Amino acid sequence: MASPGALVYLAWRALVAHPLKRLFRQRGSGLDRFRAAYVSEGLVPTRLDDRAVAQAASACIACGLCETGCELARATPAVRALGLHAAFRLYARSFADLPLAADALEACAGCTGCDALCPTRVPISSVVAHLRAASRRGAG
Amino acid sequence: MADAYDVIVLGGGVNGAGVARDCAMRGLRVLLLEKADFGVGASGNSSGMIHGGIRYMLSDRSVTALACRDSGYIQRIAPHLLFRIPFLMPFASRKEGATLVERATWYATEVYVGTYDLFQPLKRGKPSTRLSAEELYVLEPGLRRGLAGVVTLDEWGIDAFRLCTLNALDAAARGADVRTWTEARELLREGGRVRGVRFRDVLTGEEGEARAPVVFNATGAWSPALARRNGARVPMRPGKGVHLTLDRRFSNYGVICAAVDGRQMFLMPHERESIIGTTDDDYYGDPDDLEATNDEIEYLFEGAASLVPGVRDARITRAWCGVRTTLFEYGANEDALSREHQLHDGAADGLAGLLSFVGGKLASYRAQAEEATDRILELLGRPHGTCRTHEVPLPGGDEVPDPALLAKDGLVAAPVAARLVYRHGSRAREVLRLVADDPRLGLVLCRDEGILAAEVVHCARHEKVRRLQDLRRRCRVGLGACAGVDCARIAAQLAGRELGWDADRIRAELADLLDQGWRERRAVLDGAQLAQEELVRGATGLLEVPW
Amino acid sequence: MTAARDVDVLVIGGGMAGAVAALAARSRGAAVVLVRRAPGATALSSGAISVAPDLGALPGEPLASRRSPVEAAQRLAAAWRDHPYAVAGVERLAEALAFAAAELGQVLAPPLDRRRFLATLYGSAVGAGLCQHATVDGDLLAVRGTLAVAGFRGHAAFDAPLVAAGLARYRPRGGPEVRAIELDLPALAPGAARPHELALALDRPGAAEALGDALRAALPAGAGAALFPPVLGLDPAARVLARIRERAGVPVAETLSDVPSVPGLRLHRAIEARLAEVGVEVVQADVAAAPAPGEPVRLGDRELRAAAWILATGRFVGGGIARRGVLAEPALRLPVQAAEGRDAGVQLALRPAASLTVRDRRRPQPLLSAGLRVDGALRPQDERGRPVHPRLFAAGAVLGGHEQATDGTGLGVAILTGFLAGRAAAGGG
Repeated sequence: MASPGALVYLAWRALVAHPLKRLFRQRGSGLDRFRAAYVSEGLVPTRLDDRAVAQAASACIACGLCETGCELARATPAVRALGLHAAFRLYARSFADLPLAADALEACAGCTGCDALCPTRVPISSVVAHLRAASRRGAG
Repeated sequence: MADAYDVIVLGGGVNGAGVARDCAMRGLRVLLLEKADFGVGASGNSSGMIHGGIRYMLSDRSVTALACRDSGYIQRIAPHLLFRIPFLMPFASRKEGATLVERATWYATEVYVGTYDLFQPLKRGKPSTRLSAEELYVLEPGLRRGLAGVVTLDEWGIDAFRLCTLNALDAAARGADVRTWTEARELLREGGRVRGVRFRDVLTGEEGEARAPVVFNATGAWSPALARRNGARVPMRPGKGVHLTLDRRFSNYGVICAAVDGRQMFLMPHERESIIGTTDDDYYGDPDDLEATNDEIEYLFEGAASLVPGVRDARITRAWCGVRTTLFEYGANEDALSREHQLHDGAADGLAGLLSFVGGKLASYRAQAEEATDRILELLGRPHGTCRTHEVPLPGGDEVPDPALLAKDGLVAAPVAARLVYRHGSRAREVLRLVADDPRLGLVLCRDEGILAAEVVHCARHEKVRRLQDLRRRCRVGLGACAGVDCARIAAQLAGRELGWDADRIRAELADLLDQGWRERRAVLDGAQLAQEELVRGATGLLEVPW
Repeated sequence: MTAARDVDVLVIGGGMAGAVAALAARSRGAAVVLVRRAPGATALSSGAISVAPDLGALPGEPLASRRSPVEAAQRLAAAWRDHPYAVAGVERLAEALAFAAAELGQVLAPPLDRRRFLATLYGSAVGAGLCQHATVDGDLLAVRGTLAVAGFRGHAAFDAPLVAAGLARYRPRGGPEVRAIELDLPALAPGAARPHELALALDRPGAAEALGDALRAALPAGAGAALFPPVLGLDPAARVLARIRERAGVPVAETLSDVPSVPGLRLHRAIEARLAEVGVEVVQADVAAAPAPGEPVRLGDRELRAAAWILATGRFVGGGIARRGVLAEPALRLPVQAAEGRDAGVQLALRPAASLTVRDRRRPQPLLSAGLRVDGALRPQDERGRPVHPRLFAAGAVLGGHEQATDGTGLGVAILTGFLAGRAAAGGG
């Protein structure tokens, strides 16, 4: 299906234009250029420990039992209305959006009362602590 | 009797809705009939991406340019709906050291994708990069060992359901009559021409007739059946495509993998979820009765796991399918875009004025609609006029508010405001106004998708919602990993209040919503999702107590 | 490391089944240790214990059923041969229910010979064999006068008119007249949207009285009882129901709940309290890949040896049965069986989800009734059908053969099998 004209053009790109581009117009390593392109979009790679936390948080079945042991007393009403398990559902599905959840994550008192209440073994307090650290990292 | 309409559009997918919008904008009297809800066919069940037509550089670069430019237009008219997905195309060598042929192939890929960079500015795309293996593993640590390098490629993702809905709503705002859950039963014909349609409202049973000199058939996978019923022929080769959804962003970027049979497939983050796709099999069954089979699910899983082994432990929330309207045969027409789609004239079947659309892709819907509208105007014997669908924003697309600013009033938390902005753009402010007027509507129904009670009310009031399941497509009720455990009942109550449903109707709609969700979830029940299903069945079991 | 302690009975799992098993063993003088990790399905239950659906009742006409729960269980056992009621036998069901109601009398009301018909959040009615004090006065057959369904003005989650319209359908079958009313409750801050927060708010001094006054002012003429959303207090000692009733002058009840569930939470807390009261030692730990009764087992930071074990770890929510591609039982690695059509067996546990489920959501789903196969003495069986260990028992949702979340027998099975297993483990009846 390839047309001869297109093939000639692509051959020219391969033999002439592309090597010239690499020589003169590409600054820095591939990784530098990729980061430069995407950091502003918030599309930074997550680390393996972020992944592990996300994996652990995936066990949540939205039963709400953890919230019965959590006061979120230091949170604003809007955040309290969202409740604790939003921390690993709504906030944590995309690490790029964590800065928006900073208020909610900072409201955690670290009492770890929630851990003993989760039927599906989400390590809640460490998930929240990790997300809080990640959001601070992102903001700073 | 004068015709009530200039054109009747059949089908509320992206082509039908796009054409309805363009026709309405150019001053035609339009009736849009959709037998279920916007986007329930191929449009909503597509991969949800706005491709730039990279493969056409092999045959005709102007096609690629057109496709990229149109992607840019979609960004302009609905910026809030789009999100960037960088893709990684990894290289693997069969043996320890790469052979010359392999290296040449990788270089060729780098050049090819690098040439595509010339078109990226048309859609605000980022340039590609070639990365070494170490750099690749920094970006995507979850990939299997032994890869040799990668070329990156920038694309855009989109919420396809909302795209269809916004086009249809804009058409209605410009005077089109838009009816969902209304099926065209029969084409009216007279003297070798189509004269209109006979239709039936699926929910009320009301029957009616509408007359117009032109009927635009954008019923997609349902085209062949519609055509057969009316003594016409729309040649099409339907292709079933299955996707799997994971409950969160699993990989950092999109990854192109090879399935067991060598077909190209992908695992990509899509907004706040991940999608594995897709299959392509001839499908001659009932498009109303689609379910993913275990073979298809296993095929997708295996393909993704071959490159990203950890995906086997991920939480799959649902498996969904659609039917592509692939062209049955390519015509000799040299027009660039028609290589991918066709407009069939029904004159050969004694239905002059019936224009059927086959093929096409989501990313080029606007250009396809423009071309189709030009043809419709020709059939009506009118001048083309000026198409402005590329510059006039879709509802909510005029501005993308900052969620942090919206959340400053304290009415909603910032993450919920972000979801509202993503789905509604500038109209998020209208939703928040509902909360300001009635604080009860600040209740967050779903901590998975960030759905507010006010959003359900807003959609029910303004977005042509006639059934509860429509809310799955408007604001993702019941679509998340939570399977509706938090939101389904309350959304049914709120929608019922808005739409005047009695108690029996509310219960029936809720049951229907649960049925829709079950269909997509049952074949992938495993791990935490199985526990979720047990919880949901227990909680909603009280709805229909048979004893 | 100190030597392993010796006890008579080890119960694994702290839901209804495990609790009733521990209490039943304890009531025979056994030294009992109960180990549990977290609340499970019991803490998420609706507030009703249906015991058994009346298979002979007309669908949609629940109030027409006059069969007692125990009779219904007998018929069910005769019809569903794989069901735990059939496997264990229901001869002692009435005794087990009475036992559970007495032990958990702080939250459960004494059973009647007939069902009580309790309203749900959807406006449907459920026939219950056992229910909580908080729902007793909402029994549709016992309301004298009009039933006032009361919503709170700040609370969008409860739709009183919808519930009232639903319950009105039962008028021809002996149900009451129903009216919807709306109350202002100043104690409800806008942020207090979660059910357990509303319940806690009502526990506080003055709140129940304020609600009672508001209710009295809004009651329609001829009101015989008032029905609220399922948030009427969390702490039994706070006596929220009684306080509202004193002020309002009519009996007061709540509907059954979906998730999250205040009634479920109350039940869970009552269970914890009763276990402590009778001297069952409760250990917080996770049990995985454990050996067998008689051998030392590690629980947290200590070791234990128990002559008899009762596995009551629940199904998917509780984690007693799990599926990671294939069905398995993580605590003791016992074989899990699933059904497919008329076949049931251990090999079917390997089947894909697509073939262990059926398209019609309302129908029974084999995947969701997967679990352990036990003999008539409630001892889990191996692949060959022989008991894995003579002193190993299982109770509750970990048993297969019933879809406990939806078939109306979940907590009834938990109580019956917990009672039988507990007595057997303690050595005798």
